[in-house]
Amino acid sequence: MVTKTIAEINEDLLRPVFHTTWRFWVAAVVLGMGVVAAYATFFYQISAGFGITGINRPVFWGFYVTNFVFWIGISHAGTLISAILRLANATWRRPVTRCAEVITVFALSIGALFPIIHLGRPWLFFWLLPYPSERRIWPNFRSPLLWDCFAILTYLTGSLAFLLLPVIPDWALVRDKSRGWRKKLYTTLAFGWGGTGRQWHRLESAMHIMAIVIIPVAVSVHTIVSWDFAMAPIPMWHSTIFGPYFVAGAIFSGIAALIIAMSCLRKFLHLEQYLQPIHFDNLGKLLLMMSLLWLYFVFAERLTVWYGNAPAEMSVFLSTQRGPFAPLFWTMVVCNFLIPFPLLAIKKLRTIAGTTLAASTIVVGMWLERFLIIVPSLSHKYLPYAWGSYRPTWAELTITAGTFTGMALLYLLFAKFVPIISVWELKLGTRHRATQALLEIVPAEEPLLEEVADLNPNVALEDS
Amino acid sequence: MERRDFLKISAASGATAALSSCGHPEHQIIRFIPEEDLQPGVAVFKPSVCTLCSAGCGLTVRVMEGDAEVERHGKLGLIKMGLAKKLEGNPDHPINRGKLCARGQAGLQVTYHPDRVRTPLQRIGPRGSGKFEEIGWDTAMTELVSKLAPLRASNQAASLAFLTRPLRGLRAELIARFLEAFGAPRAVTFETFDETVLRHANALSYGQPQLPTFDLARANYAISFGADFLGTWNSPVAQAIGYGEFRQGRPGRRGKLVMVESRLSPTGANADEWIPARPGFEGLLALAIGRVLVVEKLVPMDGNGPASWFGGPDFAPEQVEKPTGVSLATITRIARELAAQQPAVAMIGGAPLAQTNGLFNAQAVNALNVLLGNSGKPGGVGFTPQPSAPVVPKSSYRNLEELIRRASTGRAGVSGVSSRPISPSNNPAESPLGPVNVLLIYEANPVFGQPGFTAGALAQIPFIASFGCFIDETSVLADLILPDHSPLESWLDVVPESGSLGAVVSLAPPALRPLHDTRSMPDVLLEVAHRLGGQLGEGLPWATFEEMLRSAAAQLTGAIDTNDYWKKTLQQGGWWGRDSKQPIHVLAGGGTHAPIEPSLPEFDGDEREFPFHFLPYASPALLDGSTAHLPWMQELPDVLTSAMWSVWVEINPQTAGRLNIQQGDLVEVASRHGQLQAPAFLYPAIAPDVVAMPVGQGHEHFTRYASGRGANPISILAPMTEESVGALAWAATRVQIRRVGDGRKQLTLFGGGMREELREKR
Amino acid sequence: MLHNWAMVVDLDRCTGCEACVVACRAENNVPTAGPDQAARGRAIHWIRVERYFEGDFPDVRVKFRPVLCQQCDDAPCEPVCPTYASYHTQEGLNAQVYNRCIGTRYCANACPYTVRFFNFFNPIWEKPLHLQLNPDVSVREAGVVEKCTFCVQRIKTAEINAEAEKRDLNDGEISPACVQSCPTSALVFGDLNDGESKVSRLSHSTRGRKLLGELGTGPKITYLERETFAW
Repeated sequence: MVTKTIAEINEDLLRPVFHTTWRFWVAAVVLGMGVVAAYATFFYQISAGFGITGINRPVFWGFYVTNFVFWIGISHAGTLISAILRLANATWRRPVTRCAEVITVFALSIGALFPIIHLGRPWLFFWLLPYPSERRIWPNFRSPLLWDCFAILTYLTGSLAFLLLPVIPDWALVRDKSRGWRKKLYTTLAFGWGGTGRQWHRLESAMHIMAIVIIPVAVSVHTIVSWDFAMAPIPMWHSTIFGPYFVAGAIFSGIAALIIAMSCLRKFLHLEQYLQPIHFDNLGKLLLMMSLLWLYFVFAERLTVWYGNAPAEMSVFLSTQRGPFAPLFWTMVVCNFLIPFPLLAIKKLRTIAGTTLAASTIVVGMWLERFLIIVPSLSHKYLPYAWGSYRPTWAELTITAGTFTGMALLYLLFAKFVPIISVWELKLGTRHRATQALLEIVPAEEPLLEEVADLNPNVALEDS
Repeated sequence: MERRDFLKISAASGATAALSSCGHPEHQIIRFIPEEDLQPGVAVFKPSVCTLCSAGCGLTVRVMEGDAEVERHGKLGLIKMGLAKKLEGNPDHPINRGKLCARGQAGLQVTYHPDRVRTPLQRIGPRGSGKFEEIGWDTAMTELVSKLAPLRASNQAASLAFLTRPLRGLRAELIARFLEAFGAPRAVTFETFDETVLRHANALSYGQPQLPTFDLARANYAISFGADFLGTWNSPVAQAIGYGEFRQGRPGRRGKLVMVESRLSPTGANADEWIPARPGFEGLLALAIGRVLVVEKLVPMDGNGPASWFGGPDFAPEQVEKPTGVSLATITRIARELAAQQPAVAMIGGAPLAQTNGLFNAQAVNALNVLLGNSGKPGGVGFTPQPSAPVVPKSSYRNLEELIRRASTGRAGVSGVSSRPISPSNNPAESPLGPVNVLLIYEANPVFGQPGFTAGALAQIPFIASFGCFIDETSVLADLILPDHSPLESWLDVVPESGSLGAVVSLAPPALRPLHDTRSMPDVLLEVAHRLGGQLGEGLPWATFEEMLRSAAAQLTGAIDTNDYWKKTLQQGGWWGRDSKQPIHVLAGGGTHAPIEPSLPEFDGDEREFPFHFLPYASPALLDGSTAHLPWMQELPDVLTSAMWSVWVEINPQTAGRLNIQQGDLVEVASRHGQLQAPAFLYPAIAPDVVAMPVGQGHEHFTRYASGRGANPISILAPMTEESVGALAWAATRVQIRRVGDGRKQLTLFGGGMREELREKR
Repeated sequence: MLHNWAMVVDLDRCTGCEACVVACRAENNVPTAGPDQAARGRAIHWIRVERYFEGDFPDVRVKFRPVLCQQCDDAPCEPVCPTYASYHTQEGLNAQVYNRCIGTRYCANACPYTVRFFNFFNPIWEKPLHLQLNPDVSVREAGVVEKCTFCVQRIKTAEINAEAEKRDLNDGEISPACVQSCPTSALVFGDLNDGESKVSRLSHSTRGRKLLGELGTGPKITYLERETFAW
């Protein structure tokens, strides 16, 4: 229950924007170092050659593509929370929407870097874009990599819009409350937002359209990413289940990432009053459902393969079940199901700590899942003489670590410049319930935002 | 500092252009004298001869013009010259008919090897340290002559020793004449996988002390006792061509191949049937098969010698079942198949000859051919006509023992000889030769290739010179190095010992100009002879090796010595008899045919303490180690294990399981004479009491690609010899093995899975 | 007349001698990886001889199988390349255009035969080994994928010469390096559009099989199975 005045809400949610402690700088520098190391490694990779990684024949894709799929998967957090929950009128989503959308945008950006990082000649990545070149050929639209390119760019554009549009009113709020360089900055960012009825109306329509549109885009993105694998005639890649399997896994990992982000924000920005156990509880239930769905997909695929007993597929299957990849495989099962299930199913355990722990193991487990989809199949293709193995080197580890620090850094910087909880939406929610209580009616729809502006800032509002 | 100085190039007569500087360095200019037949971008094809093994296959070299950075007298320059781009088999050559094996293809890397000796070298550090300084040819020649002249002057000509690999052609003739005219003993020939036992056996069985030629293309059945004839043995390309026809060259008729060996070789991998007979008992097995042929009257009995050999009770199949490990049923069946599927031919080579009873084994297998009546017939065993009657040779091992003995005498006090016991010489009538004052080495590497021959064996020799292109374990001990041209830059002539049923002489001029400041070894010898003068000068009247070849070529063929004929021979890459498909008849009845004395093998090492037979085998890529310096050969995945840049120990998987050894584990292999460590390879096709290792790695000094890599299996071999011939019995050593650690980092495999069907049950 | 290049590999003739492996790398400037990189799985062999064991001692059999780019009619490596570096020529070859390749390695993954190789570093030929390089074949830089081309440089040279001489190509006139070197003549190369060619006749042999044909790749190499004995 948020029992706060509007002034208190403003104070709490805008504090990170206006006040910077030494902890911020330390965190930024430390995380920045990880990012710099990753960039340095990438440039070294270009100059020395791709061979500094652990990629070899036949495992031509390894950590980089794993990261690619993983981060694109994480990016489905925003879509679920903002779009799906918005359309489903789940009002508890309000404090959480922006955290989620931020994850989406940054995870997508990071993920989209990997198709460039993993290229043999990355300076030519722009050849994937259809422009009239003097070589007089287009890129090959039959290639799933091209579909990736377009899908991700579309999703990124859409998510960016979806994120930044509703930030505008909050930027306007910051603008109104700041002075000096901040005022100049936020005046530019606020795009001349005046809080007029028409502007609110337009914003609301835009949000609604985006919410509807972004869902198929998100579904298509991860389906297309899954088709990078499913379209190749490789044992245990060429599976019809990959589209839905990857989308489910993406949402699964996205929610987990969101829970972790929320936990961190709650702790470091002192947002205990806003990110409440109920949010974690609800997200935890969603996570539980996705865990079960994930388990279902994995079981369905593996049972089919095992039952079918095709030799090429069985060699991949057994390598994960009992062979060299078995430790990773069973760790994944433990991380994605065996640990989260009790933590999320038992109400007493579905606390903030519980869900965060479950979410952490899930993030690890989902990373492993991507790895185990890619590498065992490439290690065991059709001709046994051509089987091989894979071991990452410091280059891949550095870049992978760099993405995690990069994500954290981006998040840190975002929270510095944008209120991480959508102020106007939160106020809208609380106002809505207050009005409801006062009027003792159940409104059929959201109240007009104008009403929020009329309120006396010092009146306490109750949130039920 | 301007590194590119200009060189003046003067072209000598013929295609061998010796490069020399002239006069004033500050006035040197580049003169690009393009080779007459080279246009930029257009390839010409020149004949040559492959010398990487003894088969003597004919080559066609694809030569294109290019710029090569060369060094002369310490100065760098750029020369436009013909560069060899690709080697192919010479389509007209009767031995290899346009085909070329993996090693032959890699011959390109000899000429362009980064670690070739580029200029004469003189030792400046302690012997064996590898410290040399570059000197000019004048200095080098003067030095060499100055060491040789005093020997003649002081009546010590007999103290000159010439150590060489076996040569078949005028090089051998030249060396022989040189030594004879000098007053020195015959050259000491050395090679690790010496075939003296087989030559002796063939002399006894067929009257030809010579490697055999098999007419596989017209055979219906072939049984090979250890001869890896599709891999490294004898004349692999010629044999492979025959094998191709043997299998699929005659519609409706497919030959059957049976392989008798304890470790499946590349040839065995192609066989229809693999019989892992116990090592050393192959001869007994052959006799048992022969006995079945005789007893069941499967072959014509005309009362001659062969039938009577098999009468003894010792070779009854029931008796040999246990010692050979081959069942009575198999022996009988093989015999019946041999008789029914004629022409059938039997071959022997490799490990069965490298036992203490190798001669017996060979004679027994040869006897099968005589019994089957296939010698000199289509589909059987024959011999390549030679320009002069071959002589029964002395084994490499005996040759080296003699050299070691000579090298260690004549000095008071410390003898630098190795720790091996010296077996008595085969021929007591031969008077022992005296000490060695000067040793000349040409492409022989006994420090690597002969067990027990250490660098110390040569320590007492005052002066050692080497003519090789590369520095290896033996030539690193030289005081003076006079580098030979690489084969493609040399006049080459080889008279193949086998591989063709018609007469062949491979003969080719240099395909390339010399890349470095090297000189052809025969030309060096000739110049030394002229400088020394007297009898030597008269005995070797030619100015260059080319002259000598030209005069000898006329004798070879009995042809009229005209310019046209010489030109044609050189264009063709050699001379071959017109009717090269006709078999050559052997002496009636076949040789002296002394009755075969059965002999049982002896092994070094007590069976309980050393439970395994140790089988070092010639590696398809590295042979006896002499091609280990070629990076293409190091990176070639061994066809049976897929290993690259590695050495390994092959162990039967059940045996390995018993000893707790897993794939890649580092194992120690120990004989009574040494031990080594290498990673284990679980090899399904090897007998449980045999372990095998490829020869070729374990070089200490042999260019950047081979040095310091792996272990040398020759180093732990026991000094066992074949009892009659005295050749090294390299398959007669027993060893023990145990796991000592993890060796996976030393075993690089190109292949992943070893089996196609999934054996793991779901 | 357009050609349709194909190959036949007679597994009954093949002895596993690997002459083809070395001939190919000599002809096509294939870089040597060296011991360290080979240990890391970066060795390049455009043609390799696969070896499989069957059975256990003493009933062990060995199979050899040369595997090279099958130049598939329905190559799975072609649709997945985003820059058309892998494409099908009119003469039935799967061509690899090095300067269009940006190194996604999707083609190498999609190939069920694992016959594509990636250049992890710029190739090094320690001088003067570089003098041996074939000027008719480009040297690939780091970051591009390469594979067997059926020695397209030899095909093109022969076609150009034949056209200049105003005649047709003869069967057996063109030999890729591997075919030329094979001692047992296990490898046969030729034009399927010529019904009389050796490769056409052998392609219809009863012993003929396609490697992984069930995947629908349409490989152009026919493998003639090893025969066994009835007696």
